Amino acid sequence: MNSLIRLELARALRNRKFLFFSVIYPSALFLLIAGNADSTTKIDGTGLTVPTYMMVSMASFGALTAVLMGNSERIAKERESGWVRQLRLTTLPGRGYVLAKTASAAVVSLPSIVIVFVVAAAVKDVRLDFWQWFALTGAIWAGSLVFASLGVAIGYLATGDAVRPITMITYFGLSMLGGLWMPSTTFPQWLQDIAKWLPTHAYAALGRAIEQSQAPHAQDIAILAVFFVLFSGGAAWLYRKDTLKA
Amino acid sequence: MTTTAKATSPVVGFDQVTKRYGDVRAVDGLTLALHPGETVALLGPNGAGKSTALDLLLGLRPADSGTVRVFGTSPREAIVGGRVGAMLQSGGLMDEVTVGELVRLACALHPRPFPVRDVLARAGIAQIADRKVNKLSGGQSQRVRFALATAGDSDLIVLDEPTTGMDVSARQAFWATMREQAEQGRTVLFATHYLEEADAIADRVLVLHRGRLLADGTAAEIKAKAGARRIAFDVEGAVDEDRLRELPFLTTITISRNGSAEAPGRAVRIQSTDADATVHALYGLGLYPRNLEVAGLGLEQAFVAITAAEEAKQS
Repeated sequence: MNSLIRLELARALRNRKFLFFSVIYPSALFLLIAGNADSTTKIDGTGLTVPTYMMVSMASFGALTAVLMGNSERIAKERESGWVRQLRLTTLPGRGYVLAKTASAAVVSLPSIVIVFVVAAAVKDVRLDFWQWFALTGAIWAGSLVFASLGVAIGYLATGDAVRPITMITYFGLSMLGGLWMPSTTFPQWLQDIAKWLPTHAYAALGRAIEQSQAPHAQDIAILAVFFVLFSGGAAWLYRKDTLKA
Repeated sequence: MTTTAKATSPVVGFDQVTKRYGDVRAVDGLTLALHPGETVALLGPNGAGKSTALDLLLGLRPADSGTVRVFGTSPREAIVGGRVGAMLQSGGLMDEVTVGELVRLACALHPRPFPVRDVLARAGIAQIADRKVNKLSGGQSQRVRFALATAGDSDLIVLDEPTTGMDVSARQAFWATMREQAEQGRTVLFATHYLEEADAIADRVLVLHRGRLLADGTAAEIKAKAGARRIAFDVEGAVDEDRLRELPFLTTITISRNGSAEAPGRAVRIQSTDADATVHALYGLGLYPRNLEVAGLGLEQAFVAITAAEEAKQS
């Protein structure tokens, strides 16, 4: 299975478009949004400056991009091309394919998180404690597994033609409504009431709590856990269904 | 099970295997056994159930009823043990990696791999090892699939329409490579609708039609079953048609009028399972056949004859 992970990774690192969108784009977007904000104004009710707030949003967004896009589109296309069938004729265990995809996506998502942090610290003077940087990286990286499993589920649900629009709608919907692009506190109240149940909202809240030197809220962790179980359960069910019809 | 029984246990065993898609029985009560070292062609028109039968054999689909055993175990166990190498018609390849990288992966996944360089050379793709998989021609892709199927020391090689997309010379080169596999003692099973391939390469031909096994034997036996030789001749004047119809070893006969009004004649076309005996009996009738021709029936005609006979039986 390691040989497949290596090959998936080599392929991902060779794909400039994918690298741009998952590694460079979040940092660029961070500069665009937080670029003109001064480093002292606090966002209502958070006690965090705009750059600090947006840093977590964009790091989360970058990780989400890498794992969601990396999984869904490839899986749907490779199911259609028959590569998934071909792999079933090897000693690779059934889950090996999905694990290799997720592992290689996780390797790409790590630099996308770190680069946002580096840019935020260097350009916008975001300062955190040593432990906070590590905790943030760990929490955002681990949290991205929720969306990796969503990517797998979409990959097994959608056909090769439909996968891109479905992924895009999911991706933009989750990013925007979850408050990754703009603080959800700017939303009308009814939208805020919906947004707070989204996995992306809980995901970004995880990082924000660390920035506020707090333990992550139990509700956010619970929401992420429930979505993880839902997505990975759905992915497993869809995978089995796909296997039976070959 | 005794030791002797185990030693002769078939490479592949289908026992009353049925697979339905909705109301259609793609494979219908199929029972067959493949033995070590055989090169077997699975022959049938499109929709005969060839690909479904191979999917069942490889464990890609579950059978609705009946059992499929490969080397005495389940298909999946046989694959995990590295005993089966397979090339699917619908087998896609990983995009955006090179041919060499993909073959290296196949070797890494096989429990008894051959050196990557040998696999590339044998499949005739060493010179395109650096090329991206998505930049290959149809024939080149088939060779890459073949390389994936022969990346390690498997005992059974399964190929679904392997020469699709190859030109004539590539096809010949491909079968030369395939023969080497068979000569090394491997069992080879290939599905094809190129009848000349089945005729030239296989020791044994299985004819599949509507999911059922219509014929099982050597190419020569299949031809014999259909009436392997064609006899054609003309006779002058009127003949006793009933006596012609009673000729021995006939499978089909057509008698038509020819010649002119002044010199009427008959053209006779016969298919016979024993042309020598039929022609001998023909002279015994005291006839003087003109323009006598005796020709072998190709496997293609044999195949058409067998499937047509089957359809006639069913309707």
